[in-house]
Formats: sequence, structure tokens, C-alpha cells
Amino acid sequence: MRVIVRTVSELCITVGSVIVLFVVYVLFWTGVQADDVMDDQIQLLQEQWAKSSVPPTAAGSSTGNTASPPKPAPYAKGKPFAIMYIPRLGFTWNKPVLEGTATGTLKKGLGHYAETAQLGQKGNFAVAGHRRTYGDPFKDFPQLRRGDAVVLTDGTTWFTYRIDKGPYKTVPSDIEVIDPVPRTSGYTRSGRYLTLTTCEPEWGHSHRLIVWAHLDSTQPVEAGKPEALRR
Amino acid sequence: MGLVPWYDGRDGMYGWIWRHLPGNTWVKALISLALVVAVVYVLFQYVFPWAEPLLPFNDVTVDNQ
Repeated sequence: MRVIVRTVSELCITVGSVIVLFVVYVLFWTGVQADDVMDDQIQLLQEQWAKSSVPPTAAGSSTGNTASPPKPAPYAKGKPFAIMYIPRLGFTWNKPVLEGTATGTLKKGLGHYAETAQLGQKGNFAVAGHRRTYGDPFKDFPQLRRGDAVVLTDGTTWFTYRIDKGPYKTVPSDIEVIDPVPRTSGYTRSGRYLTLTTCEPEWGHSHRLIVWAHLDSTQPVEAGKPEALRR
Repeated sequence: MGLVPWYDGRDGMYGWIWRHLPGNTWVKALISLALVVAVVYVLFQYVFPWAEPLLPFNDVTVDNQ
């Protein structure tokens, strides 16, 4: 009898400690790791861009110009290819965007749905990100409003998207939201769109939150930071 | 002392480990600490990364890939 009681109590203490440690891991440690990894990814990108720096062509300011930028090469799976800035989520908020939405990829940054359009191209450039854990990139997702800027750069061009439809709650099987012309967004004609997805509720997985944006302007990096990122 | 298996001993698994550590109390405490650190390392490095994707926080996409 004593042996049973003692064994059970030791087991409880052990399991309890492991659970507490696991909570610490999920809430705290994944964030520490993700911040580290995301910084690495951004550094990797900037090194890449510095190496292949395009000689500044006649940098005629093309602000407000929505002409098609050159079609980028296919993105390498699991590799970063752009940096996203959303001033509404914080002035210093910037995250790498990686190709693909695999679990391992989303630990390193935001994930671009592989089958959707490329950055700045016709169609829908769709990106998923963690709401909680792994650095909480989309923690303040519900604060996004119509008119907010979502700025991306691929090293040669700044893309400024403007949000048209604020956080829209849907179910996880609603894959139409990342269609080239997402019907529920109110867009009716084909264009250059951006879709962001994350989970809802904050710690759950029963729903998804979506925002849609359209490409507002592009400018070459030599022309400096776009309007939306200037303080 | 220390010859009885932990489930027969007077003070359980942790007591059994303690009695099997060499050295005096200080050395035992130091080794225990190292053991705890090793266990936490294994958990954080291998066990939790495996277990974490089973929780719902990873479902952020709409096509479940």
C-alpha cells in the first residue's frame, strides 16, 4: 500500500514538473528561439541582397506606379525571400517571409502559400503566420483595419499593399479566401491582392482570421523606404 | 543500503537515485543538479519540439497542409 501511494505521488510530481516545463517551453522558449531564427533569416536575406545588389538603374521615382515589376524567380521551398513590415503591429515589426506553409517553415517566419501568386504579381499573394507561440508574429492581428499598410520587400522592390477588408473570421476549410480573386473579400475583378491568415481564437484552432489587401504602389529600393514606413 | 530496488526501498525512486550517487552530500547535490539540467535539456531539445505541433497553435493556414 505504501509503495503504491509513494509511487503514485512521485509520478504526479514528475508529470507535474514536466507539464510546467512544457508550458514554459510553449509560452516562452518558442518565442526566444523564433526571435533568434527570424533574425537569422532576415540577416540571411540581407546578405543575399547585398551580394546580388543590382546596380542602381536610372532611379526614376515610380512611386504610385503599379506597373508590373519583373517576374521573380520561383521561390525555394522553406527559404526566405522577402521581409514584411506592418506599421500597425508596431513600428519595429518586421518578419521574414518563407516559401511554403509547413510546420517547420512557420517556426522560422511567415509562410507563403506555395500555390498562390508571387509577390507583386497578378493574383493573390497569400501568407500565413502564427498568432501565438513562435514569437507571436500575428498576435495583434485583430487590430488591423481598412487602409493599413502591409509593406514587403524582395530586395529590389518595395511593395505597399493596403488592407481593404479587416479581420474576417472563417472556418479552416474555407480555402476560397486565398483564391486569385477571393469572393468573400468583395473583390470582383482580377488584380494584385494579398491575403494574410492566422488562427482564431488566439490559442485555439477552430477558426481562422483573414485580411485582404490590394497592391497600392511599388518602388525600387534605391528610391528609399515607402511612405508607409516613414515615421 | 542501496541494494534494494527503488520500488522496495523506503523512500521511492528519487531516494533510490540519491542513495546510488557517489560521494558526500555536496557531490551528490552537484550530480543531481547536473542530472536535472540534462533531463531539462533533453525535454526542451527533443521531446517538446516533437510534442508541440500536436497542440492547436500551429493551425494557421486555411488549407491544412
